[in-house]
Amino acid sequence: MAAILPSSSSSIPASSTAKAPSSLSASRCQFVGIFRTPIAPKSSSASSLVVRSQAQKQDLEAVIPREQRWMFEESEINGPDIWNKTWYPKAADHVNTEKTWYVVDATDKILGRLASTIAVHIRGKNLATYTPSVDMGAYVIVVNADKVAVSGKKRTQKLYRRHSGRPGGMTVETFDQLQKRIPERIVEHAVRGMLPKGRLGRELFTHLKVYAGPEHPHEAQQPVDLPIRDKRVQVEK
Amino acid sequence: MNKDKIFKLAKGFRGRAKNCIRIARERVEKALQYSYRDRRNKKRDMRSLWIERINAGTRLHGVNYSTFMHGLMKENVQLNRKVLSELSMHEPYSFKALVDISRNAFPGNKIPKEGISA
Repeated sequence: MAAILPSSSSSIPASSTAKAPSSLSASRCQFVGIFRTPIAPKSSSASSLVVRSQAQKQDLEAVIPREQRWMFEESEINGPDIWNKTWYPKAADHVNTEKTWYVVDATDKILGRLASTIAVHIRGKNLATYTPSVDMGAYVIVVNADKVAVSGKKRTQKLYRRHSGRPGGMTVETFDQLQKRIPERIVEHAVRGMLPKGRLGRELFTHLKVYAGPEHPHEAQQPVDLPIRDKRVQVEK
Repeated sequence: MNKDKIFKLAKGFRGRAKNCIRIARERVEKALQYSYRDRRNKKRDMRSLWIERINAGTRLHGVNYSTFMHGLMKENVQLNRKVLSELSMHEPYSFKALVDISRNAFPGNKIPKEGISA
């Protein structure tokens, strides 16, 4: 609709008054009826990575059609103010299909340190475009989750508790027992505790994929190795 | 305020708070209190968001926020955090130049470790 409106208004200038009501309603949300740069296919992966000083300068004619210029204030005549307002990501900046996928091998890695790095990458806190209310993070695949390590006596002494909600419904398991039963749950439990709790946090948690064995079904996403900066994450043998 | 004004302010509220005057009046009073408080909180939240973004941006270059800002202060670069966060997102080359300036002015406090870390 955004493409149709300005082309019709430029080709029929005589009936601009007839077009005015429809363009008014369209511009209530600013710039919906405005033809900025021609609707170009998305060039790079995310529009947030456009280096602004190297972006093409937009012609004033292309930004606001002459008929609609009266609707906009002086300060907005060259487009929205992108330098004095803090950037907020648009929907195109966090499309799930264009996100990075990371893979990490959990063999002999300390559980908490590994989970911390994973949570940082899933949340997107390592990116300069981090926004707390939006999912800007990446996907993380964990393989060999049954070989994750803990220090000290945690293997037999760390307890995992869950409660069914009914009286007397508390179940307590040790790290060992849970690893024999459902090894993926250990890494999932650790990472879930480090992600925000709430609607967005639950959605972020679905971006974590944990597998007990060495194989994972996500080869099509071409996952990259997760960069871990913690020097003490690997257990020295 | 009269009822019409209250209902106008109560648009979008949940349940009876948008329709029934007794409940709407309470909720609208609360909403106005929140908006008063949050006009002040917004300034704090924005600043902490800028700092988080600058931190992430500098760590991509191997420097953390604290050493970066200290280096900038030493060089008397008076760019504020809002602008720095926008630069870190949209002007990566300029931001790298700033990180280099800061690194030259203040390389950091790390004491080199003797021997191999365990």
